[in-house]
Amino acid sequence: MPVVELELPRLQKLVGKTNRKKLMETLPFLGLDIESQENDNIRVEYSPNRPDYSTDLGIALGLQGLLGTKKGIPKLKIKKIGDFQIKVDSSVSKVRPFVTCIVALNGKIDDQVLKQIIVMQEDLHFGIGRRRKKSSIGIHDLDSISFPLTYTTTTRNHKFIPLNSTKENTISEILKNTEVGKDYGNILGNFPKVPIIIDSLGNTVSFPPIINSSLTTVTTKTKNLFVEVTGIDKTDVEDMLSIVATILQSAGFELCTVKISGAKNSTPQFKQRKISLKSNLVNTMLGLNLPSSKIISALKKCRLDAIAKKTNIVCTIPRYRFDIFGEMDLVEEVALGYGIENLTPTLSPPQTHGEKNKELQVLNNLSHIMVGLGFMEALNSSLTSKKLLYDLTNRDHSNIISVIDSKSEEHKILRDSLVPGLINNLSNNIHEPYPQKLFEMGTIFSKGNPINEEIHLASVSAHNDSNFSELKSFLQSALKTGFNIECKTKTSSHPTFEKGSTAEIIVNDKTFGIIGKIDSKVQENFKIRVPVFGFEIKLTGLIFD
Amino acid sequence: MSQVLHPIEKKIIKFLRANPNSSLTQIEKGTKLGMDQCRRGVEWLKLKNYAIVKDSEKIFVSLGENGLVAKEHGLPEYSCVPTSFDQPLSISTVRSELKSDFDPAIGIARRNGWISIGDGFITLTAKPPENESPLLQLLKFIGEKKIPISDIKNKKSLEELKNRPGYLVFESDKSKYISLTPISETIQIQEDVIVVKKKSSQFEKSDGRAIDVEADTEQIFVAKTHPLNDTINEIREIFVTLGFSEILGNQTQSSFWNFDALFTPQDHPARELQDTFYLDGIVSKKIATPKQIQQVSKVHKKGWRYFWSISEAQKMVLRTHTTCVTIKYLAENKPDEARVFSLGRVFRNEKVSYKHLVEFNQIEGIVVGKNTTLRDLMGIQREFYRRLGLNKVKFWPTFFPYTEPSLQSMVYNERLKKWVELFGMGIFRQEVTKPLGITKPVLAWGGGIERIAMLKYELDDVRELYNNNLKWLRSVSKCP
Repeated sequence: MPVVELELPRLQKLVGKTNRKKLMETLPFLGLDIESQENDNIRVEYSPNRPDYSTDLGIALGLQGLLGTKKGIPKLKIKKIGDFQIKVDSSVSKVRPFVTCIVALNGKIDDQVLKQIIVMQEDLHFGIGRRRKKSSIGIHDLDSISFPLTYTTTTRNHKFIPLNSTKENTISEILKNTEVGKDYGNILGNFPKVPIIIDSLGNTVSFPPIINSSLTTVTTKTKNLFVEVTGIDKTDVEDMLSIVATILQSAGFELCTVKISGAKNSTPQFKQRKISLKSNLVNTMLGLNLPSSKIISALKKCRLDAIAKKTNIVCTIPRYRFDIFGEMDLVEEVALGYGIENLTPTLSPPQTHGEKNKELQVLNNLSHIMVGLGFMEALNSSLTSKKLLYDLTNRDHSNIISVIDSKSEEHKILRDSLVPGLINNLSNNIHEPYPQKLFEMGTIFSKGNPINEEIHLASVSAHNDSNFSELKSFLQSALKTGFNIECKTKTSSHPTFEKGSTAEIIVNDKTFGIIGKIDSKVQENFKIRVPVFGFEIKLTGLIFD
Repeated sequence: MSQVLHPIEKKIIKFLRANPNSSLTQIEKGTKLGMDQCRRGVEWLKLKNYAIVKDSEKIFVSLGENGLVAKEHGLPEYSCVPTSFDQPLSISTVRSELKSDFDPAIGIARRNGWISIGDGFITLTAKPPENESPLLQLLKFIGEKKIPISDIKNKKSLEELKNRPGYLVFESDKSKYISLTPISETIQIQEDVIVVKKKSSQFEKSDGRAIDVEADTEQIFVAKTHPLNDTINEIREIFVTLGFSEILGNQTQSSFWNFDALFTPQDHPARELQDTFYLDGIVSKKIATPKQIQQVSKVHKKGWRYFWSISEAQKMVLRTHTTCVTIKYLAENKPDEARVFSLGRVFRNEKVSYKHLVEFNQIEGIVVGKNTTLRDLMGIQREFYRRLGLNKVKFWPTFFPYTEPSLQSMVYNERLKKWVELFGMGIFRQEVTKPLGITKPVLAWGGGIERIAMLKYELDDVRELYNNNLKWLRSVSKCP
C-alpha cells in the first residue's frame, strides 16, 4: 500500500474546525492506516483505489466530510480566461495518443505544497499511471511557456535542456544517460519518433513520459502552473488530470481551461456522473434500516452529492472519484459516511451445518498415530532451494519446478519430496539431545497437467541405536493401526539412501514410497553424526483418493 | 528414611568420604558439580541426617613486606652484631644500613646479650648461636604461601613474629565445613549409579526398602503435533462450529482464478513478478469454460479499458490467497445458501523477515445467503475472535480489489499493548460474481493464520514457526 507523510498542524489547518485528537481518531475511518508517528509527523497508508489521498490536501477533503465541517462534492470551478490552447499532431497516435491539460493560476507554492505536489505526482505515476506506462503528468511554470502549444513527435536527435540539467541533450542521450531515461525509456519502445510538447516559440516544454524541460521548472517562486497528462487511453489521462485539478484547486489555485484539439483529442469536461442507488440495497447489505435522508447525509459526508427520487437515491459522483463503479461502491460510501464505528456486529444463527473435510480428518488421524509412535511434527516450506532439495541429497533434478525471480535464495524451487527438508531439520538440531524423531505431512509438486499436487508422509529417526527394522516397524504399525493396510519392503536403491539398506514400500504390489538408511555422504553433507533412517510414502491414492 | 540417593548426593558423599571437613568450594572443585547442585545436595544430605555442616573460622597466615625481606636477608638483629670481638662496628654505619630496623635490632641483640654499646661503637659481647634461628625457620616455612595457623607448631616463634610490625599478615576465612555423620557410613554407593540411564527400575525392585518418591527424575521429551498445525486445527474447529464446511483446492493455480476472476486487471502491480511467484515455463491450457473466460474478459474490458490477454490468464502461479479456491467453488456450484471455507498455504514473493514469510497459511470463509448483512459478517468475526480468547475487537474500512465494502478487523494485543490488524472482510464485487453466474451476494472474510499463532505462542518473529527448532518444539506448551 502506498504511504503518504503528513504534518499534523498543517493538516489541522487544512481541515479547519478540529483538534488533533479528533483528527487522529478519524483517519482510520477514512481507510487510512497510521503506520507511524513522530511528534508532528505521521505516515499513513492509503488504498491504491483512492489516489486523491496521495496528498494532505486530498485527505483534508475527506476528513472535512467525515467530521462534518464541509459536506458534498468539492466542486471544480474551471474558468475560461486567457487563450490556452494545445494542438495535437496525428503522429502521436502510434506512440502516446492522448494529452489533456489544465492551467492553475494565482497559487502560492511554499516548500510544503511543492513537496506534496511532487509526492502526489510520483504516487500517481506509480499507481494508476502504472509506472508512467498508462499515463504520466508534467507540471510546469506557466509563465515560461508561450501558447499555443503543440503535442507532436520528434526524432531522437531533437535537443533541449532537460529538468535538473544545464546543457542541451539529445533525446537519445537523455534515454541513455539519465535515471528516468533508463527507467522509463522502454515505454517508448523502438519507435524512431518520440512524443514532445513544443511551445509557440519552438521551445521544448516536455518529453513525455520521461522528463520536463528545464525551462519550465516549478519553484517556490512559481505562481501559475500548466499541467499536462499524456497517455494511451483518453479516459485514463482525464482520470489522472481530474485528481491533479481537484488537489490544485484545494491548494488555492484558480483553474482555467486549456483548449485541446486534433487527432481524436478534446478539451476535458470533468463531467460528473449520476448513479441511482436503492435504499433497500443499502439496508439489506449493511443490515440497517436507514431512511433516505440518512443515506443522503452519509453520502454527503463522503464528499458526494445525492437527492431522493421516489424510492431511489440519485447520487452525483465528482470526476475524480473514478474508483466508484456502481451501486455497491456507493453502499460502501454510505457505510463510511454512517460510520463503521456505528455498525454494531450481530450474530444470527447459521442456516447451514458445518462439516469437516474427510480427507483432512484422515490426515489428522495419521498425524496422531505418528505422534503416538514418538515422532515430533515438523513443518517445512514447499518452496525451497535446489541445493537443499537436490544437490545435498544427491537427487536427480531433471524435473525441477522453479519460480521466476524469487527474492529469496532459499525459496526458488517447489519441493517434490519431503525427506530433504527433514534431513535439513536434523542438521539444524545436532546440538539438541537425541533421539530425534521427526515427521511431516505435506503437499509435494510434480510436473503433470500442468502440475500434480500430492500429499506425502515422511519421517526420519536419528539416534545411535536407530536401525532399519525400528523404522520399518514404525511404518508398518502406522499403516496397520490407522488404515488396516499391510505393507511390504522390497530391496531397491535411491540416491539419498545407502546402497544395501534401502527398500521400496509396496502396498498391494504397487510402490508407494521408499525407506532406508540415509546415505553416509548425504549425512556428511548435512553434518549429522548419528545414523539416520527415513521413509517417505505417498498418501494420495493410498489412504484417500 | 529415604534410601535412594540422587546422583548429586552420591557424588558428594563419595567426595566427603575421601575429604572430610570440606568447604562447599572444595566440594565443587572435587565433584565437578555446579555450585547450586552442591548447595542443594548438601542441603538434602543434611535433611537426611547424612551430613553435618559446621560454621567455622579458619585463620591463615602469610608473610608481610618485612617478613619477606627478613626471609631473604636474615633477621636484622644479626646484621648489627660484629663478627669478632676486636672489630667493633660504628653505630652510624650500622644505623644507615638498617634504617628503621636499627632500633629494634639493637634492642633485641642487647637483650640477647650479644652486644654492648659505648663511644659510638657496637662491641661483641657473646656470639649468637650458630644454628638457624627458629624465627627464620618459621619465616622460611611460611615462605610465599598462605598457611592455616593450625599448621604452625612453634607457637612461641609465631607470637614473637606477630609482634614485629609488617612481618605477618593474618586472614580469617569464615565458611561452612561439611562432614559426614556416622550414620552415613551405612550407605552403599554403586559405581555406575551416577549415570541415570534406565537404572531406575533396578532401584525400585529393591528388597522391600522404600524408594525416594521425592527425587528429581529424567526429563522426557513429548512428541507433539506442530504448534502451527494446532492453531490451524483450532481455527478449523471454530469455523466448523460456526456452520462452515471446508473445501480444498490446489496451491498452484492459473492466473485466471487467482487474479482475473477476481477483477484484478492484468497490469495490476500485485500481478507483477516482484509480488507473485510465477512457475517458470508452465502454463495451463484449460483454465475455465469458454463462457467463463468470455464473461470475465468482458468485464475487464469494460471496467479497466484494456486489451485482455488469455495467455496472461493461462500463466501458472503459486496462489497468493485462498480466495481462488472459494471463487472456483462458487462458479462451479452457484449456491443460494452456503457457508464454506478454504484454508491452506499461500505464497508472496517477499523478502523474508521477522514479519514476512514467502509462504504462509490463510483461511477464507464465505457466506452466501438471503439475509446476510455486513453486520452479520462482523458478528461472525467477533464471535470467532471471542472463541480464540481475543475479546477487544474493532473494525476499520480498508480496500481489497475484489470486495466492496471492505473492512479490516483490529484486535487488541494485551502483551504488546497495541491494536494489531488481523482478518479482512467484505462483500464480493458484482464485477467478480456476475460474470461467473453468481447471483446472490457473497460475503467473505479471512486472513493469515501465522499472526494468530504468534499471538498464541507469544512470538515476535514469524520465522520461528518454520524453523523446526527442537528446543522450541520440545519446550513449547501444548495449551499456552
